[in-house]
Amino acid sequence: MDFCLHCDEPAPFPLFSEKDREQANPFCCEGCLTVYGVLHSLGFSDYYKIKAQGEILKPRSPVQESKSKFTYLDDPDFISEYAKRGKQDEIILDFYLEGIHCLACLWLIEKLPEMSPFILSSKLDLEKSIATVMLSKEGKASSVAVLFNQLGYRPHPLKNGQELDDLRLKEERSQLLRIGVAGAAAGNIMLYAVSLYGGASGEHGAFFNLLTVLFAIPVLTYSAFPFYRNAWMGLRNKTLSIDVPISLSLILGAILGVVDLLSGKTENYFDSLTTLVFLLLLSRYFLQKVQQRGLAASDLNFFYQSESARRIENGKIREIHPDFIKSGQTLLVGNGEFFPVDGEVLEGESEVDNSLLTGESRSVGVGPGSVVFSGTLNLGKEILIRSTSGARDSRLGKILKNVESGWGLRSNIVTISQRVSQYFTVGVMGLAAILYLYVLFQAGAEAALERAVVLLIVTCPCALALSVPLSFTRALRLAAQNGIIIKSDETIEKLELAKHLFLDKTGTITFGQVKVSEFSTQIPHQEMGNILLSLERGSRHPVGKALFEHGQSLGGSFQEVLERREETGVGVSGRIGGSFYEIRGQRIFQDGKVIASFKLNDLLRSDSKDHIKKLREEGLIPMVLSGDRKETVALIAKEAGLLPEETQGELGPEKKAQLIKSMSQTVMVGDGANDALALSSADVGVAVYGAMDISLRSADVYLTTPGLGALEKLIVLSRETMKVIRRNLILSLSYNSISVALAFAGLISPLSAAIIMPVSSLTVLLSSYWGTKKMRSLWKS
Amino acid sequence: MEILVILIPLALGLGFLFLLAFIWSALKGQYDDLETPRYRMLLDDQGLKKISHHSKKEEK
Repeated sequence: MDFCLHCDEPAPFPLFSEKDREQANPFCCEGCLTVYGVLHSLGFSDYYKIKAQGEILKPRSPVQESKSKFTYLDDPDFISEYAKRGKQDEIILDFYLEGIHCLACLWLIEKLPEMSPFILSSKLDLEKSIATVMLSKEGKASSVAVLFNQLGYRPHPLKNGQELDDLRLKEERSQLLRIGVAGAAAGNIMLYAVSLYGGASGEHGAFFNLLTVLFAIPVLTYSAFPFYRNAWMGLRNKTLSIDVPISLSLILGAILGVVDLLSGKTENYFDSLTTLVFLLLLSRYFLQKVQQRGLAASDLNFFYQSESARRIENGKIREIHPDFIKSGQTLLVGNGEFFPVDGEVLEGESEVDNSLLTGESRSVGVGPGSVVFSGTLNLGKEILIRSTSGARDSRLGKILKNVESGWGLRSNIVTISQRVSQYFTVGVMGLAAILYLYVLFQAGAEAALERAVVLLIVTCPCALALSVPLSFTRALRLAAQNGIIIKSDETIEKLELAKHLFLDKTGTITFGQVKVSEFSTQIPHQEMGNILLSLERGSRHPVGKALFEHGQSLGGSFQEVLERREETGVGVSGRIGGSFYEIRGQRIFQDGKVIASFKLNDLLRSDSKDHIKKLREEGLIPMVLSGDRKETVALIAKEAGLLPEETQGELGPEKKAQLIKSMSQTVMVGDGANDALALSSADVGVAVYGAMDISLRSADVYLTTPGLGALEKLIVLSRETMKVIRRNLILSLSYNSISVALAFAGLISPLSAAIIMPVSSLTVLLSSYWGTKKMRSLWKS
Repeated sequence: MEILVILIPLALGLGFLFLLAFIWSALKGQYDDLETPRYRMLLDDQGLKKISHHSKKEEK
C-alpha cells in the first residue's frame, strides 16, 4: 500500500504528478497533488525533506481545497470585529488552520513573509494550530487566506478575543510565578532546615532559623493565597473544601513559627509546609493545563463549518461572513455547503441533508417555497434562498441559546474530595480538642495549646489534596492519548456513577450516512467494481460516496471515463470502454439495459452491537433516542440488540432533553444539533466523532474516533480512576493516623513531619502513576 | 566556620538572581507556548542544513 506523500494517509489508488515518470511520489487525491505542485513552483519543496525528518504530531486528512476566494475577509465590518491592530496600524489576524500536522508545517507557515510582501510576520502555535499573521495596513486579509488554502491548510479566521486572552494569560503567568516563588523558597529553606536537623545550634542555629522564617513569608502569603481564597469562598457557601484544613495548617504553622522565633526556639515546620504549597500548586497547575488542552481542541476544530456565505447585492455576488447576514437577504448556497441561516428557497431544486439538525437519515428534496434551516447541508445543485433569520436567531441559533441558558442547570455533584474533607476537618478538630483537654490536666494550658496546634499542622491533608488532581491528570492524559477529550475532571466522577445511557441513532450507533445495503447484479463483481469506481470517483453526493465505497469492496480499479456527467437529483453517466453507463434511480444501466440494482440505507456500525452489550455488562441501561421515523429507529435498535421498550423515535430536541432530565445519573451520547439540548441536560454529555460545533460546546466529552468503542473505554477508565483515588485516600489517611498517634504520644517534632509528609506524598504519587492493572492492560491494546 | 560569612550571602544572592530571572521570563511570556519553540529552534537556516545533511547520510 502506498501512502500519500503530502498527508500520509493511505493512497490505495495513487496519483502521480506528470513530471514524476518513475512514480516515486504517490498522492492520495487531486488536492494533495495540487499542493505539492504549488510548493514546488514557490520554491518550498524542502517541505517534504523536513517532513520526512520530523515526527508527525497530529494526523491530517487529505487536502480539500476550499473554492472560496475569501473576499469576505476584506469586509471593513469583518476586519473591525475580527482583527487586532498593531502599533503602526498593521492588521493582526488569528487563523485556525486545518491540517497542521508536523514540523515542516511550522517551517512553511513561518516562511509566509517570503511569499508575499504584505505579510510582515507569521507565527504558528503548533499545539493549538493557530497562526497569527501580521499584515501591513495596505495588505489584504483575503490574500493570506488564499495563500493558506493553496498551501493545503484550510483557514478559519478567529474572532479577536483580546481581552479574554489577556486575562487568561495574566492568570496563567501569575500561577507560574506563585509556583516558582514557592519552589525557590522551599529549596532554600530545606538547605537550612537540614543544617538545623543536623545539629546547628547557638548563633548559627538562630541565624538559620531566622532565614527559614524569612523565606517562608512570601510562600505563606503570596504563593499560598489561592488556598486561603478558595477556603474562604467555600466557607461562605457553607462547604468545607479541602483548602480549609490546608489553610488552617498553613496559618497555624506560620503563627507557631513566628512565636517560636521570638521566644528563641530554633525549630519550625516551614520546610514541610512550603514544600507542600509548592507541590499542591504544581499538581493543580498540571490538571488545569491538561483540561485547557482538551478545551482548546474541542472549541476550535469543528467550529466553522460554513465559514463564508454568498449574498446577492444589486445583482452581484458578494462573499460575506455568516455573522453579518440579516433577515430578508438573498443568498446563494452551492453544492456541499451548509445553509448559514434559516430561509426559503427562491430558485432552484435540490436535496438537503437534515441529519445533523433533526436526526433524519434520509435526505429531503426542496424546491421554490420550501423552508431550509441553518446547519443543514445542501447536497444538490446551487440554489437561491431568501433568509428569514440572521445567524443568531435561526433555529440552530435558538438551540444554542437554550443550551447556553441551560448551562447552569447541569447538576453539580459533591466531589469526593469535598465529601472526605468535611469528615476530615471535623475529625481533626475533634482530635485536637481531645488532645488539648488530655494535656491540659497533665502539663497545663500552654503545653496543651502547643500540642493541639502541632496536631493541626502535622495532620495537614497534603497527600489527600495532592492525590486527587494527580489521578485526574493521569486519567485525562490517558484519555487524550486515546482520542477522548474530557473538558472537566468532575466528568470522571459523574461517569463512575452513571446508570442510564441514552444514545442517539444517526451518526452515533449508525454511520450517519447511507451505505449500500443490498446489491444485485448479473455481471462479474470485478467488472461492476470498475464501473462504480470510475463513474463515482470524486462524487460528493452521499449516494455517489456509498457506491464508490461499494466499488472498492468489490475490488475494482479505475478506468478511463469519457463524457462523464453528474446531475444532481438524477444520477451519473459516462462512457467506459465503448459502452455507455448510467446510474440513476437505484439502478445501473449499460447502453440502456439494466445490469444492476441496489438499495441504500443508513446502516448500523458493525461494532455497535458488541459495544452496547459490553456497556450493559458495565451496569448501564441503554436507550436509543432519535428524531428519525419510528419504524427506522425500531429496525436499527433491534439490530443493535436493544429491546423495543429501550427505543424511542420521532423525538424533538426538547422532548429528548425532558426525558433525560426526568432521570438521574444520566449519560447522553450524540452528534447533531438536535442532541445539543439533551447533551447539556444529561449529567454527562458525550459528543461523538463528526459532531456539530453546537453539540461539542454543550458536551463534556468529545470522542475523536468514530463509534462507541471509546465510550466503553472511557467508562472503564473513570471507574478505575476512582478506585485509584479511593486507594490514595486510604493511604494518605493512614499516614495521617500515624501523625495523630505520634502527636498524642508527644513524640512529634518538625523532623518527623519532614519525613512523614514527603513520604506520604511520594506514595500517592506513585500510586496515581501506577494506576490499576485493568487500566494498564486496557490502554496498552 | 568563618567561611559561612561569604558562602551564605553568595548562595542567597545567586538564588535570588535566578528567581529574578524566572520572574522576568514568566512576565515576558516565555512560558506561554511550551510546545512550538522546541521545534522552531530546529528550523533556523543552519539547523535546516544540518537536518538535510543528516538525511543524505542516512540515505547512503
